[in-house]
Amino acid sequence: MPADLLFYGIRHHGPGSARRLVEALAAARPAAVLIEGPADASDLLPMLADPGLRTPVALLAYAEEDPAQASFFPFAEYSPEFQAARWAVANNAVLRFIDLPATDRLGERLAGAPEEALEEDEVSRDPIGILAAAAGYADGESWWSDVIEESASGLPVFAAVAEAMAALRAEAGPPSPREAAREAHMRLEIARAAKESDGPVAVVCGAWHVPGLREKRSHAEDRALLKGRPKAKAKLTWAPWTAPRLARGSGYGAGVIAPGWCAHLWDSHDAADRASTWLARIARVMRERGHFVSTASVIEAQRLGVALAAMRERPHPGFEELRDAAIACLCHGESAVWHDIAAELLIGADVGAIPEGTPLAPLLEDLQRQQKAVRLKPEALEKPLTLDLRSDSGLARSTLLHRLAALDVPWGRLADAGRSRGTFRENWVLAWQPEFSVRLVENLVHGATIADAAGARLAEAMRGEPALGPLAGLLRSAMIAVLPQAAEIGTALLETRAALTSDALALLAALPPMAEILRYGEARAGTAEHLAALMPRIAVQAALALPYAARNLDAEASSTLRDAILAAEAAIQLAQLDAETVAAWHGALATMLEDEQATQLVAGAAGRLLYEGEQIGAEAAAALLQRRLSPGIAVAQAAGFFEGFLAGAGQRLIHDAALRQAVDGWMLGLEEDSFVANLPLFRRVFSDLDRQERRRLMDAARGQAEASARGYRLLPGAAALWPAHEARIRALIEAGAPR
Amino acid sequence: MSETLRRPAEAIYAGELAALAAGDGDRRPPGWALSPRAVVTYLMGGAAADGTAISEKYVGDRRLIETAVATLATDRALLLLGVPGTAKSWVSEHLAAAITGDSTLVIQCTAGTDENQVRYGWNYAQLLARGPSREALVPTPLMRAMEGGKLCRLEELTRMGSDVQDTLITVLSEKMMPIPELNSAVYAQRGFNIIATANNRDKGVNELSSALKRRFNVVVLPLPDSAEEEVAIIVKRVGEMAQSLDLPAPKNVAEEVARVVAIFRELRSGSTEDGKVALKSPSGGLSTAEAIGVMVGGISQATFFNDGRLTPETLASNMIGAVVKDPVQDKAVLGEYLETVLKKRRGFEGYYAALTDQI
Repeated sequence: MPADLLFYGIRHHGPGSARRLVEALAAARPAAVLIEGPADASDLLPMLADPGLRTPVALLAYAEEDPAQASFFPFAEYSPEFQAARWAVANNAVLRFIDLPATDRLGERLAGAPEEALEEDEVSRDPIGILAAAAGYADGESWWSDVIEESASGLPVFAAVAEAMAALRAEAGPPSPREAAREAHMRLEIARAAKESDGPVAVVCGAWHVPGLREKRSHAEDRALLKGRPKAKAKLTWAPWTAPRLARGSGYGAGVIAPGWCAHLWDSHDAADRASTWLARIARVMRERGHFVSTASVIEAQRLGVALAAMRERPHPGFEELRDAAIACLCHGESAVWHDIAAELLIGADVGAIPEGTPLAPLLEDLQRQQKAVRLKPEALEKPLTLDLRSDSGLARSTLLHRLAALDVPWGRLADAGRSRGTFRENWVLAWQPEFSVRLVENLVHGATIADAAGARLAEAMRGEPALGPLAGLLRSAMIAVLPQAAEIGTALLETRAALTSDALALLAALPPMAEILRYGEARAGTAEHLAALMPRIAVQAALALPYAARNLDAEASSTLRDAILAAEAAIQLAQLDAETVAAWHGALATMLEDEQATQLVAGAAGRLLYEGEQIGAEAAAALLQRRLSPGIAVAQAAGFFEGFLAGAGQRLIHDAALRQAVDGWMLGLEEDSFVANLPLFRRVFSDLDRQERRRLMDAARGQAEASARGYRLLPGAAALWPAHEARIRALIEAGAPR
Repeated sequence: MSETLRRPAEAIYAGELAALAAGDGDRRPPGWALSPRAVVTYLMGGAAADGTAISEKYVGDRRLIETAVATLATDRALLLLGVPGTAKSWVSEHLAAAITGDSTLVIQCTAGTDENQVRYGWNYAQLLARGPSREALVPTPLMRAMEGGKLCRLEELTRMGSDVQDTLITVLSEKMMPIPELNSAVYAQRGFNIIATANNRDKGVNELSSALKRRFNVVVLPLPDSAEEEVAIIVKRVGEMAQSLDLPAPKNVAEEVARVVAIFRELRSGSTEDGKVALKSPSGGLSTAEAIGVMVGGISQATFFNDGRLTPETLASNMIGAVVKDPVQDKAVLGEYLETVLKKRRGFEGYYAALTDQI
């Protein structure tokens, strides 16, 4: 005589059903608890009750041969499955997962089945959410408490759910082959457990499956459904999870829309003041963000929430009522303020932890595999390594090291840091530290393979990076580490942020890394194209913003801007942008040059760049210098322009006769007094040149170009003179020292 | 046929209101002519219990109207915010008409509004003849609303000086208005409440003091969601306005409206319609009402100076006037938009040329 079967159709990640489930289990005291989840992970289930475990965590299944093929099954504190497992461990009940083993899903994936085919369709995954949406609820949990718990008068909650699902399933079409196989597997497992168990057996599964699992089918029929399912060798373990990833997730219960709200529902139990505590939480988050929120406003929000619920004929103010009330009373009607706090309030920043003794983390395994593949051994002592990026093995090693660096595991350090792939050679210094293993395990949150985790981590850093320059730097890291997805995200972010900023410095700072990527990066075609379109736009934007940014700067700010402009000019030349963009850039430089209010140092630098870019002829440049340095201009102003124009361009003065003549002519024309007054400035400008260069400049200025390289030039008759000279030296050497 | 140019909402829609009241079995808050749900139906359109069709007064998000009505039902004052042309006054008038059957208790707030126009004034002849007394008092719409348990509407609240605004604090929190001259007070009857409207994008108006702000629940009425909806509203309004100004409407109005709306929406939303390029937004609101203004201005210019043809050149100067509110910042924003987006877009060459020319 098989044991009694108790079916609990739950809502994945539904705090409402989790609470009812715990109550029901406590009342029924089953001897076995069967949970919808990969059957081959049953051994890992008791770990859920380990005190070292902190939710959210995810069950991670990955293919042994290819860890990139991984599935996650996340659990939150308020997941009914998690609560059921905890109850079973605490009460010594048999505990088992009964769904198709993870090997099945991974096998299909390895066989190339598209991801969508593996996901449950939305109705069967969250039928309660769908019913709620149909009833005009944005939040399934509010619907659960309003409809399932309120209206199921007399009827136990789970019986009501099962009835509703039976009605729903009668309307739906036949399940997909995968769904049919899952239910067959679960039915067989349930039958087996019922035979073995000496007490009632509780089945905890998604509400949708209850009617299917209750169906009476012959075992032979079910076994036939399971024949020929694909298989892959799988490894299973727990991984720490985060609240933001719960909000996305994959596998069971994908998409908890608002983990923060669910956690609140769970934490507040059935308390009557649930709405007020939620509003108080909203108020607290808003105050932390610097918004002024009074207690009186919170009271008003509560009243408005109740009134709204009454008007919408709902027994309690739910998520939407409280949101609308909070916007009207606390955010002064601005939904932007709500969106500002929503991420913190609704998603939160919880990070889970896994107990010690959890099976080996896949990232470490992946690292070991890759170390073998690229033949690099971890050694604690520093060891230099030179890589030739033209060879496949060199590139593979470099990519691995760059990815690890992105994961904050700096196994290798670039000896000539700061240089990207301008050359085909990279010089690394390798040293493995033991704590790197720990860091790798921490990185499990980001993904199951080094590539996935590095990409996800970079993407996260990019999302949190407000400044354009560092963002472009991160994008370059993503490109170098061959992480196309992160690179795409970075490009999109760069685009948005660039559009929203009008800070010339920030825009200029983004140009050099972009130019390097475009010039040297091994970017995937799509991203490179996107970047190639984006860079001219940022350049044009910077050009538009420059003239305003160049006005009225102090010494420090102006030299910062000057440096940024010089770097941007180099980047624009390096990236070989189209003529139109370059014209816009030159236009901005010309505007700055002519702008009365522009800081002279910057104007001077603009003048020189235009001159070097052949936008100004030699004569015009001479006239320009003359005008800007004329006696009517205050010495400080003239000095700024002179410095801007010539600093770092001393070399140019040596070789460029026209420019030299202009400067020379201007200097000669200076009155004694003003020459003396400007002397410190001249010293400053020419102090960049070394002695040799200075002498050559002096010679050039004196018109003695012929003799400028004294001691290094052959005399005209040297060839003829040499044999006689050599003979005399030989004689001297052979004669030895004079006696 | 009435000679009145425009009758109040409760007179125009008397039939709908009567039908809704007749079939309204829900509980009504004290002093209300309809239940909250019936008020929402009146504004959003639908059908009364007896099948009378209720026209749609407000096109937009039902939740906003629900929040507004629920606010009034909790005897909190309601503040409707929004850029010009988002139907704030329209909604406030219809709310007052539906809830108390009287939308005429209005105070139009301006920079010149003083306390006497908000609280009460004096009939000086009476005052001199009999001294301070109730007979010498001239009640304002606010005072009459308090005494009659009606809704009082305050239009453009923030245009009134901050010190005058603060007169409302006692009225809102204690539901009474002291008359110290007579050593008495006016106590609000049940049903009394205030609906205020204000513009949240205008520069140069008075800030709402936080003491007062706290006493209002705020509902922000947004701009239309889709371009089609906005184009339709503008074409309709431009047609009406051109007619009342006796301007012949050029044939290509609809196409040009679509282009102007496209430009306005992109600048306003801060990204191109395809979502590919993010943009900066100018400091002004760029509301539907401003787009209407640009079109009407363009049409009048076309009629009198440009042999009736509506061209980008005739619209450009009006558009610049609408976009560039801050001569430095907004010019840079518009310049950037022209160079990075409009320059390469087909069909907008005329606008690019005309705007670049005139900016």
